[in-house]
Amino acid sequence: MKRPVLVLVAGLLVAVAAYCGVYYSGTSSCCRPLKDSTPELSWLKQEFHLDNAEYKRIVELHTAYLSGCAERCRRIDQKNAEVARLLSATNTVTSEIEMALREAALLRADCQAKMLQHFYEVSRTMPPEQGKRYLAWVQQQTIPADSHSQMHH
Amino acid sequence: MKPQDTPQSDEALSRVLRQWNVQAQLPPRFQEQVWRRIEQSESPAHAPAWLRLWQRLGAALARPSLAVSYVTVLLLAGLLAGFWQAHATRVQTGEEMGARYVQLVDPFQSPHH
Repeated sequence: MKRPVLVLVAGLLVAVAAYCGVYYSGTSSCCRPLKDSTPELSWLKQEFHLDNAEYKRIVELHTAYLSGCAERCRRIDQKNAEVARLLSATNTVTSEIEMALREAALLRADCQAKMLQHFYEVSRTMPPEQGKRYLAWVQQQTIPADSHSQMHH
Repeated sequence: MKPQDTPQSDEALSRVLRQWNVQAQLPPRFQEQVWRRIEQSESPAHAPAWLRLWQRLGAALARPSLAVSYVTVLLLAGLLAGFWQAHATRVQTGEEMGARYVQLVDPFQSPHH
């Protein structure tokens, strides 16, 4: 009964080895970005087939965008705090509240416009086909597709 | 009436048996089959189902053609499972990284807003 046991074990070992070999060779490229300091950008490079020069330019754009984004976010937070303070002080919509709400909306719109501008810059840095694909994908992810007719009143 | 066994008749029988020469060839894998039959005869008839299954499996895997088929099927199963699982991992990782990138660039989707 020794030989059948050997065959049985050998079959299982072969199956495990085949599974591990194919799995690790198949996932090594996709999981490489996870080990980088900026995995999201490394993923972008891989997903949109960027060369090193394109990737370097996109990293620069990204860094510049994020520093401006932080400042805009700080201003939005400040305005939101002001709106909250005004709302807690009264039980009616005053002209001051209207003004603060309008300014908050403008800040948010400015933030969204800057974001879209960044997407366009990034897409222009990519090869044309990839840039088109990136733009379609990122707009689908960030610009809400629901219309006001579907909102509950 | 049964004839009596005498030392003389034993001696004659022994002489005949010594002269007897078997010319027939043994069938292929005769010894292996003999041992298998001995194993089968030693196992009790009321052996549990798993033991009988194990014995059958053992007997099947003793045949080289079946052993090779078994290893080949497991090799293919391992390759297919690895390929399928790697594909699923690639898709999942891509989706996760895409979502993380969007959260990074879209302040309205990042956790602090």
